[in-house]
Amino acid sequence: MAITTFAAIDIGSYEVSMKVYQLSKKSGLKELNDVRYRMEVGRGAYTRGRLDMEMVDSICEIMTDFQRIMKEFGVEDYRACATSAFRELVNPIIVVEQIFQRTGIKVDILSNAEQHFLGYKSIAANEAGFKKMIQKGTAILDVGGGSLQVSLFDKDALVTTQNLKIGSLRVRERLKELEKTNPHYEELVEEFIRNDLTAFQRLYLKDRDIKNVILMGDFLTDTIFREEMNDNIITRAEFMNRYESTLNKTNDMLAEEMDIEPDTASLIVPTMVICKDFMDIFGAESLWAPGVSLHDGIAYDYGEKKKFIKSAHNFENDILVASRNIAKRYSSGKSHIQGTTQLALTIFDSIKKIHGMGPRERLLLQIAVQLHDCGKYISMGDVAECSYHIIMSTEIIGLSTQERQIIASAVRYNTMEFGYYDALKQELGVDRQCYLLIAKLAAILRLANAMDRSHYQKVSGLKAVLKDRELQMVIDYNKDISLELGLLKDKVEFFEEVFGVRLILRRKRKI
Amino acid sequence: MDTKKFEKPEYFVNRELSWIKFNERVLSEARDKTIPLFERLKFISITSSNLDEFYMVRVASLKDQVHAGYDKPDIAGLLPKDQLKEISRQTHELVHVQYSTLNRSLLPALEKTGLHLVTEHELLTEKQAAYVDKYFEENVYPVVTPMAMDSSRPFPLIRNKSLNIGALISKKDNKKGKEVLEFATVQVPSVLPRVVVIPSEKESDVTVIMLEEIIERNIGKLFLSNDVVCAHPYRIMRNADLTIDEDEAEDLLVEIQKQLKKRQWGEVIRLEVEEKIDKRLLKILKTEFDTKDEDIFYINGPLDLTMLMKVYGLDGFDAYKEPRYTPAPVPEFQNEKDIFEVIREGDIFLHHPYMTFDPVVNFVRQAAKDPDVLAIKQTLYRVSGNSPIVAALAQAAENGKQVSVLVELKARFDEENNIVWAKKLEKAGCHVIYGLVGLKTHSKITLVVRREETGIRRYVHLATGNYNDSTAKLYTDCGIFTCDEHFGEDATAVFNMLSGYSEPKKWNRLIVAPIWMKDRFLKLIDREAEHAKKGIPSYIVAKMNSLCDPVIMSALYYASSCGVQIHLLVRGICCLKVGIPGVSENIHVRSIVGNFLEHSRIFYFHNGGSDEIYMGSADWMPRNLDRRVEIVFPVEDENIRKELKHILDLEFRDNVKAHLLQPDGTYEKQDKRGKALINSQMEFCREATEKAEKKVKKTEKSRVFIPAEPAEDME
Repeated sequence: MAITTFAAIDIGSYEVSMKVYQLSKKSGLKELNDVRYRMEVGRGAYTRGRLDMEMVDSICEIMTDFQRIMKEFGVEDYRACATSAFRELVNPIIVVEQIFQRTGIKVDILSNAEQHFLGYKSIAANEAGFKKMIQKGTAILDVGGGSLQVSLFDKDALVTTQNLKIGSLRVRERLKELEKTNPHYEELVEEFIRNDLTAFQRLYLKDRDIKNVILMGDFLTDTIFREEMNDNIITRAEFMNRYESTLNKTNDMLAEEMDIEPDTASLIVPTMVICKDFMDIFGAESLWAPGVSLHDGIAYDYGEKKKFIKSAHNFENDILVASRNIAKRYSSGKSHIQGTTQLALTIFDSIKKIHGMGPRERLLLQIAVQLHDCGKYISMGDVAECSYHIIMSTEIIGLSTQERQIIASAVRYNTMEFGYYDALKQELGVDRQCYLLIAKLAAILRLANAMDRSHYQKVSGLKAVLKDRELQMVIDYNKDISLELGLLKDKVEFFEEVFGVRLILRRKRKI
Repeated sequence: MDTKKFEKPEYFVNRELSWIKFNERVLSEARDKTIPLFERLKFISITSSNLDEFYMVRVASLKDQVHAGYDKPDIAGLLPKDQLKEISRQTHELVHVQYSTLNRSLLPALEKTGLHLVTEHELLTEKQAAYVDKYFEENVYPVVTPMAMDSSRPFPLIRNKSLNIGALISKKDNKKGKEVLEFATVQVPSVLPRVVVIPSEKESDVTVIMLEEIIERNIGKLFLSNDVVCAHPYRIMRNADLTIDEDEAEDLLVEIQKQLKKRQWGEVIRLEVEEKIDKRLLKILKTEFDTKDEDIFYINGPLDLTMLMKVYGLDGFDAYKEPRYTPAPVPEFQNEKDIFEVIREGDIFLHHPYMTFDPVVNFVRQAAKDPDVLAIKQTLYRVSGNSPIVAALAQAAENGKQVSVLVELKARFDEENNIVWAKKLEKAGCHVIYGLVGLKTHSKITLVVRREETGIRRYVHLATGNYNDSTAKLYTDCGIFTCDEHFGEDATAVFNMLSGYSEPKKWNRLIVAPIWMKDRFLKLIDREAEHAKKGIPSYIVAKMNSLCDPVIMSALYYASSCGVQIHLLVRGICCLKVGIPGVSENIHVRSIVGNFLEHSRIFYFHNGGSDEIYMGSADWMPRNLDRRVEIVFPVEDENIRKELKHILDLEFRDNVKAHLLQPDGTYEKQDKRGKALINSQMEFCREATEKAEKKVKKTEKSRVFIPAEPAEDME
């Protein structure tokens, strides 16, 4: 399989689109086709949480046609993703099933964090300069229909990423009635989003120095800035020019000028106001618009997984840095986490043969360790539940909702008594696979955590060797570890239960 | 580029009148004594069918405008009713010349060759008359339906474009006890040949007579109990086109839609009658068809001269016809190689009809068979009756290829035909798309997607003419084959767009109407003007069928006023005027009317020395630039660019078939005295044949004998 063709489908808020790629080790990702169909999927979704029958019909029609186009390029694999419009549905699973039955296309609903992780992979996929750029303070702004995502980078890593529910379509729908009576629509929009914006500024931006602002385009931003985007840079002056001229025009005028539907044109003012306000809080002199799409991210991700592409940038590290920053926010002890991480990974790697987990799970374990203590910020007494809830309500870039659920549960059962399958299934609705994963991660986390019970990093080295059904752990220590060893007992039991190996502990004192 | 001051009505010619000029040029070929006699007949026939189409589409549309009360002047400042008046005057003149050419020059010449065209049945010999009468009884009588008009029977419906014989018959009115005249009419059956060969006096001669003369001679047999007082052929043309012509301005369409009810469907817009028609008969026709004097044509000879094409087709007389040209093979394909392999070696240029159209058909045929081909996509506008391309597409679908075909149903006069084979393609499993609402798809493009070792590769054929193997023998068109990925991507985007998906964010190479093309042309023209202003040599050479887009023309005036040399080859309509001081002194227009119909569109811009050449499907007409999906593409291959420059150069040196537009609006052939005669179409024929022969010789020379390999061991 030196060369393959792959299709990425994006069911967005106002556009359904597909790109077909050719993937090869030699030349990486090559776009073969880009088909886009304008359709306001988000309209019904944001206001009523449902899609009209006609809308589902049209989506199915397009998907069937996409199937045909895939055949034209001999596409061997595809991934179809739906984003915020589908997330807002009350019955997403039913709609996804309908689409599958009628067209054979399986649609994944991306969590916001996944979506934006892929989005930012797409920038990395397209731009060699990306790695250099994020050495300095960089913000990525992604204005969508339902929500907008703003991510901050510094020193080659992701600092934070926040999702604000002030996407253009949502703003328009919310202000629909007010617009008629208010002559200064843009002021109305500004006022509407101000609260979210100042909160973001106060909590996350602080006095961080943002040198670059990247505007992640979609069809709408691309249309608005079509003229300015020739060099991929929109300067502040260019932006303000366009802004001023836009405000004075009716939607019909804009529609004609940009050759789009009047309905879509009504999203232009909200989009521009949002962009302008962010430029203001960042103090940005220009926007960099590389013109990429979610498809590129999906394909890049696929290419990475199938080993067609090797990325220069370490995306896993971004996820880790992001979770480290979350831990920091909740004042988790840095050295304890580092120590525990070491221990957990040693255990993980040593029993590779018997746990059947891969690199992705290793990453989840690392994140679980990062976040296992965060609940203390809220309550010392109820760490498990508080940690669980913090993780469940914090977006971690690059993780799906399910993965987040797994991490949160593993953290929860780090200290709480483990609930078995029926209980867990009932409470969290997890499937068998997830359940097993939670148990495995929790077992390793418990063991590693217990070894640093005192948070003094007394264990300075750990060697683990698997021999038949025995896992021998040789612990180097420089301080008295009787506390740790004493408390280890019940953790060991759980560990042995989950992995079915006997744990032998040996001490080796360092002098 | 400020073109405001060039937008004055006096700088432009009305497009209809310019079209009449074109038909006059075709007619002038019929008058050219240096052309073989039968070819001249053909040209008369063409002027006749041209005029029919002109009436049905253009005059009908102007009539609509008058009825709708639309009174905006055209670019030349003429109101619809003024245009109609002038058209009537000029077409009458044209028809006059047509028949005087036929009667004074062609018919006598035909006599000399031994072909007798009997224009009046009174001139038949006894023997011939007997033959004709028998022919009537056996063949004609069973299929004709005479219809009479009296107080109980209203005037019958006369079909559009049909040839009829009107007669006055005398009847005895019993009440009044005297003779009265009644009108009767009979349609000359279209199922029978219009030209009938009858016995000649001399064995070696050929004698023909028109069907209507046979009927006229025997008309008494149709109205047995009555006396036929007189019988004369007549023909009408109706405003029967249900659609409004796409050439018209947007606001007019709105206006006409509003006035739809007032529009007079089926209104008779032209009445042709025999010159010596009985006044009483004419009066009845005039009243019943509600025809104005200016719409009546008195014809001195047979009506509807399109039948001369049938005369041309008579066996024999080869000495009086141009020898039939056989399109030459394309040198690149004169080998056993796979067509895709040849295209991978480099872009290939095709120039029809000098070169054969076969490679284009083969391209689709091979793609249908090739196991590595995944998909074929093609636009079809007008195809031939039994199109091998349609058959190949259907075959491809049956072979499991993904086949998408855009079928343009709105191609004028071809709708019914198109629907038939569109259904056929659908049945075969092709994905048939019908284009975009309100936009005719006029672009000519084929895309083949193939999976190869190095990945997906796209092969593209782009052309200036339709995928029609029949017209490819008569129309001069250009095309290229390429597998350049930039073209491939664009081709995919074109088909996405035609399937209703959003337009691409950018085009690599193709320039596509209706959105991007006009601006691009304006920019290219403006760039030449800028160069001229800086004193850099600048010129534009453009070849097309028609030029009538006001914006483009003003831009050309502007460029000319800046000093750009502009050479135009416009076969048909040209609304631009040359030689206006300060406006168009640097513009030169010529029109080539020859044996083949000039059809290619080539655009050359000097661009300060790094010249750019484009080809495509679009004329510089508002309908092409604003209301159609058209493609114009740059030619990048150095050899093909050379070929195109040679084509333009040779056509500009043509002094046999080229007519030069004069400042007074007339077209004149150049003075050939003392010059070597250059007939560009003939030259191209010669060149193409030579090239193909050279290639054959070369391959023969380089032939080596290949030693046979020993048979492989069987295991």
